[in-house]
Amino acid sequence: MDILIIGLNHKTSNINERETVSKKLLTPELRLEFTTKLLELKDESGRQLIKEIAVLTTCNRSEFIMNLSYWTQGKGGHAIKNYIAKYFFDDLEKEKILYMYLNEDAVRHLFTVASSLDSMIIGEPQILGQLKGAYNEACRFNTSGQFLNKLFHKAFNCAKTVRTETKIAASPVSVSYAAVELSRKIFNGLEDKKVLLLGAGEMGKLTVKHFIKYGVKNINIANRTAEKARNFVEESFEDKEKTYLHVIDFSEYYKNLPNSDIVLCSTGSEDYILKYEDILPVIKMRKQKPLFLIDISMPRNIDPEINKIPNVYLFDIDDIGKMIENNIEVRKREADAALDLINASVGEFMNWKESLNAVPVIISLRNKIKNLLESELSRYITDEKEKDIAVNSLTNKLLHEPTMLIKKSSLNPDGINSIKTVKALFNLDAEDCPEVFKKRISETTPENAKTAEESLSEYNENKIKLVK
Amino acid sequence: MFKELYLIPLVIYIFSYIVFAFKDKKSHKFFVYLVYAGFICQTIIFLTFLGIKGFAVPVHIDRFVFFNAWILMLVVIIFGFFYKVEYILLYITPLVAVNLIIAFFVPHVHVRPVMENTDRIILLTHILLILIGDSLFALAFIVSLIYIFQERKIKSKKNLKILDMPSRSGYNLELLDNINYICLKVGFPFITIGIVMGIYLSSSLFKTFLIVKPIEIISLITWFIYAVLLHERMAKGLRGKRAAVFGIIGFILILASLGFSFYFFPAFHGFE
Repeated sequence: MDILIIGLNHKTSNINERETVSKKLLTPELRLEFTTKLLELKDESGRQLIKEIAVLTTCNRSEFIMNLSYWTQGKGGHAIKNYIAKYFFDDLEKEKILYMYLNEDAVRHLFTVASSLDSMIIGEPQILGQLKGAYNEACRFNTSGQFLNKLFHKAFNCAKTVRTETKIAASPVSVSYAAVELSRKIFNGLEDKKVLLLGAGEMGKLTVKHFIKYGVKNINIANRTAEKARNFVEESFEDKEKTYLHVIDFSEYYKNLPNSDIVLCSTGSEDYILKYEDILPVIKMRKQKPLFLIDISMPRNIDPEINKIPNVYLFDIDDIGKMIENNIEVRKREADAALDLINASVGEFMNWKESLNAVPVIISLRNKIKNLLESELSRYITDEKEKDIAVNSLTNKLLHEPTMLIKKSSLNPDGINSIKTVKALFNLDAEDCPEVFKKRISETTPENAKTAEESLSEYNENKIKLVK
Repeated sequence: MFKELYLIPLVIYIFSYIVFAFKDKKSHKFFVYLVYAGFICQTIIFLTFLGIKGFAVPVHIDRFVFFNAWILMLVVIIFGFFYKVEYILLYITPLVAVNLIIAFFVPHVHVRPVMENTDRIILLTHILLILIGDSLFALAFIVSLIYIFQERKIKSKKNLKILDMPSRSGYNLELLDNINYICLKVGFPFITIGIVMGIYLSSSLFKTFLIVKPIEIISLITWFIYAVLLHERMAKGLRGKRAAVFGIIGFILILASLGFSFYFFPAFHGFE
């Protein structure tokens, strides 16, 4: 019933270490192999240490989110950590780059990760998708149960709240996205706008992808060697994106300028490609329609003087960089506000978790009352159906308030007394062990069931001792 | 009498600004609703006046100013509805509020009754057309101001942080420019016919066509400015900052002509 997170991220480890780990978790098969091995871990008495597990791997982190069995103690946690260190590095020394969070800290850590506060770039949106992927995979592998389900859903919920209630993701922090955002400040909708990309580079690719995402449907690409441009389109874009892209001859780019609304420049040229006197006639031909120039090349390819022409807007990599820097600052400030939201969510989740402690008591209480009613009522009611209805409604009515009381008292530390009283009043300890357990036993393999049954009785003994 | 009623929408508008000061999305929505509520309030008051007095002349000047505020709001709300730019309400509401304040404090002046019946209809149409045209130009003025402010920010590349407000995605130069253009295109015919009717009325009032009145000169200058602007936009594709500056100058002239007609030379505009 404890949540344990073990992992490493960009803060605790260097890129080589992260690479080693992510290589061993690269494919779903490798991850499945690893999770099965982890689930097979046993403590001294041969009981399973981990009940549920999900694996999160991104380029900046690898984390294992686990729900431990009832009996797993602190020692068990360290055993797991050791095992992980050995599995990936064959070196126990490396254990120190792994961090380990338990229960409330773990929940808080997961929520922080989901809200993208722990990311290298605060507020980046990918992490939530990756987390969802990890959860889906855990569901597919059948390694996620009631507990992790709730935990993950709460994490998604929390991330969404943080995203909508703070400005953490409001301002762009990548050059390509900033370029799109800027053009949205100038143009009213990008659907009917034409983009001209000069040069075929990585930065140009990312920016064009962003533009396509925001609805641009007409993109011309010009490169000094047309062959390279064609290869660039072939290799870097998906089929759907390719339909929007047209490779044009480099000599034709100037003819294309009056028809283009946005010009992206990222060539390797050492001189200005677009000069002040080039643009003057262009803007006249455009009937003063705004022209947005983005120069993401180094050294610059567009004459900075051009920005002085009315209705022409020029941004170079420095301008965008400064803008992003500002935004990163904004995000850091917003992160503080986000922490409050996260703490609230953590509180809610921990409350839910605490209330689970009451579940076994409630179940055994219900069973007891139900059995009593059944045996008594069967004397007077012969019809099975009617009897069932009567038993159920009576149990519900009788136990509504006690159930609420138990749930409520399980949330505060003094509540153990009320639970104890309920147990003593109805003599619950001696008999049936929680149904939940039985169910779980039936789910596992017969071999496991045996050990689980043994451990269950041990658990009950421990519990009785504890209560006493 | 009834003047106190003007304060109701005024108070609603002021309150809406207080609500807007809370910087979250919900309060922004609430702000929009409040402005609508203020407008409905204005409409009800206006209809009540119409019910009591009908189109009878003489009419008090404060009614006109109140009517002006109503038309202005109506035009902006229709615009906001078609262009999904509710944020313009934020800038136009103060203008409306100022109108309401003027309506509250303006002295009780009557419009001199015009003799014939046909002239009375022309007078009412003249007022209506001029007010609608002026409202559209007022909107163009506000939009031009936002445009210039926004354009400067983008050009100077300083303080770009303010640009990053996702909740106000309506802030883009092209849209502002389009609104400016549409205001001009729609408002110009209104103003033109309105001015023609005004000249006709004044000639029938003073029984001569040739007396040169300051109100006529200044409105003709205003008309000319807007005519040039429209021509430049249509023929040469004048756009952006220069068009915005034109729009601002034009509106200042409109304000001047209104000032002239109401305060400096009321007699020439048919007031007693």
